[in-house]
Amino acid sequence: MDALTSPKITEAPGGIHQKAVTRRKHWSRYSSKTFYLFISPWIIGALALTLIPLVYALIVSFTNFDGISTHWHFIGLANYLEILKDGNTWYSLSRTLLYCVITVPISVAAGLGLAILLNQRLIAVGFFRTIFYLPSVVPIVATAIMWKLIFDRDAGALNAILAPFGAPAITWLVDPYVFYVLIILTLWGLGGGMIISLAGLQGIPSELREAASIDGANAWQVFRNVTLPLLSPVLFFEVITGMIGALQTFIQPLLLAETNGATSVGSVPFSNYLYMVNVYGQFFANQRFGYGSAMLWILFIIILAITLLVFRSSAFWVYYEVDRDE
Amino acid sequence: MMQSSTPAAKRRIGLSRLSDAGKYILLLILAMIFVGPFYWLFSTALKTIADLAAFPPQFWPAHLDWGNFLQAFTIVNFAAYAANSFILATTYSILITLSSALVGFGFARLKGKGKRPLFLIMLSTLMLPQIITIIPTYVIFARLGLIDTYWPWVLWGLGSSPFLSFLFRQFFSTIPPELEEAAILDGCGYGRIFWRIFLPVSVPVIVTSLIISFTGVWGDYITPQLFLSQQNTTLAVAMSVGYTDPHGNPLTNVIAAGSIFYILPVLIIFFFAQRYFVNGIVTTGMKG
Repeated sequence: MDALTSPKITEAPGGIHQKAVTRRKHWSRYSSKTFYLFISPWIIGALALTLIPLVYALIVSFTNFDGISTHWHFIGLANYLEILKDGNTWYSLSRTLLYCVITVPISVAAGLGLAILLNQRLIAVGFFRTIFYLPSVVPIVATAIMWKLIFDRDAGALNAILAPFGAPAITWLVDPYVFYVLIILTLWGLGGGMIISLAGLQGIPSELREAASIDGANAWQVFRNVTLPLLSPVLFFEVITGMIGALQTFIQPLLLAETNGATSVGSVPFSNYLYMVNVYGQFFANQRFGYGSAMLWILFIIILAITLLVFRSSAFWVYYEVDRDE
Repeated sequence: MMQSSTPAAKRRIGLSRLSDAGKYILLLILAMIFVGPFYWLFSTALKTIADLAAFPPQFWPAHLDWGNFLQAFTIVNFAAYAANSFILATTYSILITLSSALVGFGFARLKGKGKRPLFLIMLSTLMLPQIITIIPTYVIFARLGLIDTYWPWVLWGLGSSPFLSFLFRQFFSTIPPELEEAAILDGCGYGRIFWRIFLPVSVPVIVTSLIISFTGVWGDYITPQLFLSQQNTTLAVAMSVGYTDPHGNPLTNVIAAGSIFYILPVLIIFFFAQRYFVNGIVTTGMKG
């Protein structure tokens, strides 16, 4: 019931009522056009920079396009069939899933742990928070350089620490260790998730925890039955975004490879041969644009499927306090 | 610490039971682990070539070679690459902040048919793997002759970012409607309302958006690697291949020095702006 059609107006001569209604109709037509005007950057941008490349990739995936030459033709589902039969596909997929399953839970859990630690009333909490968060904003190239340095055989910190114990100079940046270097490098950036968990924690009123404690709950029970459920939407968000990011990883393996420079897909050690590294190689080392596009679409579908699964599972473990109807 | 009159409430819960000293020790140990790589980078940047070859590696070089920092600028045309990075990052961040503010404003304050489904679609594209579009985009831009130019960034900037639009939308939703209603009754069009009323009060969000997008481009490796030639590329790419001696061996100490210069702007920005940042996430994202 808004002011323009309030009962008062019906008392007045019909003319005024007419004007009020027309003004309202005029207003809503005006703002609909304006709405579309304001969001036009997104509509145009999404169409041109997202939808069209996606569709383009789909079409190319049915061809044997090599990126340059003009004689290519449609080969139907041949690319997709070949992908399913190629051992490399499954291997790289398994490495990627392993990477995802290791880094995401640890990141979220450790980030939560740090957030709990930082949620205490201590001095200089802001200082520590910055220290934990900073690595996640360092440019990827610098992160790779730093960790490559630490695990370097000759000038690396790890070998420096182990040397007094009699260890020889170990080359860490090769199979199978380099996979763990990749994982450690990734976990170093868990500060991003920590900040989000911290924000979530600070949104939980401490009276709730104290009330539970008064009722006799011990620390673990308070955490499990009060804090965790209230945090679950935040953790859910972190898991989803973390997974989607992890499944697309490919820059770090390239940067960690023996020779500098990204075109050296061939020098990525096998244990770091993630799915997207495979895709990148198909495009730029093998020049197989059609094949690579098909691999991209398969990854897209896999990510969608896994995301959907996690969404479905959320009914069991994510607790929403208010059903947000916005 | 919340003081309550009942003795039971004074019982400390959970981690509070550990002594404060214990917590500090834990924090310090963790902090050292997290800061470790920075330290090692710095100490390596100060090492001479001889130090690098020595085994075991020293934790702090015997002779400090500050010359490496100078070499970082000379061996690779650091200034030129940095300028490229800066131009790209600034252009992109200004454009995308503006376009995302417009889109966010539209979703927050304006009515239109299909607004809700459109908003949901926009949010769902947040989950779209960015990687899926980047290679096809490269192919398309190549056919349009836009490779090795700065145009891709201009176009991306104009296209707005769903994440930033969401940020602006959440923030604009918190502004009381009376402001714009008064302006409308005065005859203001929405363009003026946006520019004169909403933008000026959203400075914290604007700053957050500028920072996020600027540091994003500054640190971006894959896009300049794909879209720009070696001459015109950004610092991110130049850093990863540049510093080699005449034989092609990587100069680890100079690489370290160069990296320090490379990440310094980002670190400085974050040290000063983290207040905006963390508050931005807390107030616009996580609460209702």
